[in-house]
Amino acid sequence: MATAAHHAPVTDKTELPVERSDIGLIRPDRTTGLLDWLTTVDHKKIGILYGAFAMFFFLLGGVEALAIRTQLAKANNDFISAPMYNQMFTMHGTTMIFLGVMPLSAAFFNFLVPLQIGARDVAFPRLNAFSLWTFVFGAFALNVSWVFEFGHLQGWFNNYEWYGKLVYKDFAPANGWFSYAPLSGTFGQADAALHAQRFTGVGTDFWIIGIQILGVASLAASFNFIVTIFNMRAPGMTMMRLPVFTWMTLVTAFLIILAFPAITVALIELMFDRQFGANFFNPTNGGQPILWQHLFWIFGHPEVYILVLPAMGIVSEILPTFSRKALFGYPIIVFSGAVIGFLGFAVWSHHMFTTGLGPVPTAAFSLLTMAIAVPTGVKIFNWVGTIWGGQVRFTPPMVLSLGFIWMFMCGGFSGIMHSSAPADSQQQDTYFVVAHFHYVLLGGVLLGLMAGLYFWFPKIFGRMPNAAIAYVASALVIFGFNLAFGPMHYLGLTGMPRRTHTYQPGYGWEDWNFIATIGAYILGLGVFLAFANLVWTAWRGKRTETDPWDGRTLEWSLPSPVPAYNFAQTPIVATRDAWFEHKHGGARIGALADGGPEGVHMPSQSWMPLLASVGFLMIGLGLPMMSMGIPHLGWLVIAGLGVLFLGIWLWAIEGPGGYHLKTPSAKSVAPTPTASVHS
Amino acid sequence: MSDSAAAPTSTGIDNKKLIMWLFLASDCMFFGTLISTHLLYRKLYPTGFTDAEGHVRFVQNLFDLELTSFSTFILLMSSFLMALAVSAMHKGQIASFRRNVLGVIVFGLIFLGCQVYEFTHFYHKGLTIQNSVFGSTFYVLTGTHGTHVAIGILWLILLYFYSFTGKLRGHVGALDVEIAGLYWHFVDIVWIIIFTVVYLVEYLGPNGIWGSAVTTLAP
Repeated sequence: MATAAHHAPVTDKTELPVERSDIGLIRPDRTTGLLDWLTTVDHKKIGILYGAFAMFFFLLGGVEALAIRTQLAKANNDFISAPMYNQMFTMHGTTMIFLGVMPLSAAFFNFLVPLQIGARDVAFPRLNAFSLWTFVFGAFALNVSWVFEFGHLQGWFNNYEWYGKLVYKDFAPANGWFSYAPLSGTFGQADAALHAQRFTGVGTDFWIIGIQILGVASLAASFNFIVTIFNMRAPGMTMMRLPVFTWMTLVTAFLIILAFPAITVALIELMFDRQFGANFFNPTNGGQPILWQHLFWIFGHPEVYILVLPAMGIVSEILPTFSRKALFGYPIIVFSGAVIGFLGFAVWSHHMFTTGLGPVPTAAFSLLTMAIAVPTGVKIFNWVGTIWGGQVRFTPPMVLSLGFIWMFMCGGFSGIMHSSAPADSQQQDTYFVVAHFHYVLLGGVLLGLMAGLYFWFPKIFGRMPNAAIAYVASALVIFGFNLAFGPMHYLGLTGMPRRTHTYQPGYGWEDWNFIATIGAYILGLGVFLAFANLVWTAWRGKRTETDPWDGRTLEWSLPSPVPAYNFAQTPIVATRDAWFEHKHGGARIGALADGGPEGVHMPSQSWMPLLASVGFLMIGLGLPMMSMGIPHLGWLVIAGLGVLFLGIWLWAIEGPGGYHLKTPSAKSVAPTPTASVHS
Repeated sequence: MSDSAAAPTSTGIDNKKLIMWLFLASDCMFFGTLISTHLLYRKLYPTGFTDAEGHVRFVQNLFDLELTSFSTFILLMSSFLMALAVSAMHKGQIASFRRNVLGVIVFGLIFLGCQVYEFTHFYHKGLTIQNSVFGSTFYVLTGTHGTHVAIGILWLILLYFYSFTGKLRGHVGALDVEIAGLYWHFVDIVWIIIFTVVYLVEYLGPNGIWGSAVTTLAP
């Protein structure tokens, strides 16, 4: 292990002589500018990057959604073609889930978890950077499919031999976000080039490799966060004193590490079918497409809780703050979250009630699905119990959190309807399902994440978002959302199918579809306004105090923006809601005698996580292009593997490095209440 | 990685060791899914596969149990040597560590060699990844395990050469070797399961556990 010579503490690493790794490579040391953002290992900067990319992809997924809604605004519309419609809804779902919600949750994990547990960084700072860049490049590879689709529509490839040989020319993924086999797979006997015939174009290959790369990013991040939460807690921060958001991060990370392997294997099997003519899902040679559904949903249902638990954690932080009461029933909220995680692995077949599982499995999965309503209901009652009798302040995050509870509850009610197998058989693949999961994932998760953004933005950037715009945006989002997705309950129950690019007039669907489209545009405007407000705030917003909301957890004890070392002295925690107690006459936060004259040890920045991720980018671009039949692209995949290995090897031998950063004098670092105490 | 080896952690377990245990937990689900796929299809299609000439081939006639038992034994012994290497590192006996880890590498390579031979042999007997579900599940499952072994060998080779730089020492060095050992033992245990449920159970009972006849139609 290379350990840097112990230099005197500095205020900026560039004051020190250049640090070299064991084989002489110079390590980056800039703390500003592009070089810093590319090589940073600071969890706060990585969190901000996650958030920025996630918001970009949210808007991209939103544009795709508006294209879908525009197409459906009237009967027999021809705004976009049927193949384009398939690509739109597939990429909309994939983008929102894997490139929008999960990374935005990861932004909160990154920024908040170390601050909430009193740590100076995550357990593995460079692995954290690797997760970020692998996500970015996975997302990029997935969306490069749109470039090919655009080129195909423009006729760029007309003169190429490989283009002429393609049977299907849908370049973006077009199978729906769960890519059911056999549609995503193959049929017939494999030919001499090992290729069996495929039902879909290379978009599916972009999807397969893109999701696998994103899976690597999620897995690496989850390992990192579990270790961080278990091992990096400040003295006195016992598990049952952890802020609920950190608890939900822990449960989410466990769900990811146990659920993602199932989809990884399913994707590998599908990739072998498509690339090498294997028979996992090829019905001609005895493959069972139903296996894909099982493997997908063993991952897919925990994935739903991977999406929603972080938002539940965020709301569990916001409601106590603005009710000025401790969270009602902290232990039961934590255990409910864990129970939701466990049960999440036992309900996957409720996505498959119409596949003919037989009466016993159907009854069992029906029952288990109903059982999940219990811990979820417990949480909702506890949130209501938290607000009850509190001094409620209707700030923008609080308004959005209340919206979360209400909308999520509506989604939960229609979810209970689905748990009944006979009812579900009627609702399968109709707009009723679309309404249900948008109430859960948009009315629930998006509102929760937006509440989190407005709640912690003053901490992240030291600037307060404009409240008036925030209220207007919240109102637009909640109103537009209900206008868009409320009617879909009715549309679904009257039989309107999902994933169909148009519908005939005369079924009574025109009016509600038109209203839903108007709602979608209002919703889109609201989300855009909310995000624009945040982006503007980050650069130009009004500066604010360190603890504007009278916060409860440790992150509010720090200056805004938070210094690179987080805590000048490691806090000693004696109670739950430590910062609130500290301010208001309860147990005081102590301070370890670290970070004194010797400074705080900081990890060195590194290029290697980025380099290893570039390897994944090369694989992610090379494999689908190889699958298109573009010559020599197999070499790009092999080179990508080489770059990946090189990055990991250089990473291992450069060691963690490190230097010591000066902190303010011991006098000023003792935590003192700076917030105005609201009377 | 972090400079955590020196720093105390909340649980007392080192960060690197904990992250390796978590990775192995995840890898359990990974192999669990692959093995499930194989067993589901074995139950569904008990009668082996059809070769290029159109003959039905039975799995029991395909497998060479003596060879696989040998390679399994070799892999088990490599785990024994790995344990010795870890123990040597903890005692600071670097020369003993090098000897043992070299043994692990050689045994690992023998195992991989057996697998390469087995794959080639099966291919010539007509089992391909394309001609049957059994071929797909068998090659992908055992091939994925072989990839794990190969990554382990690569890791140990790097550690072996790293030990000559003099930087693999003390508590941190012992920990790094111990973590590589955790991975190696895990990959070994997975093979014990694969050897049992993919190979051995085919010979249970007169007709094999899946009900395919061994003797009547054997070519």
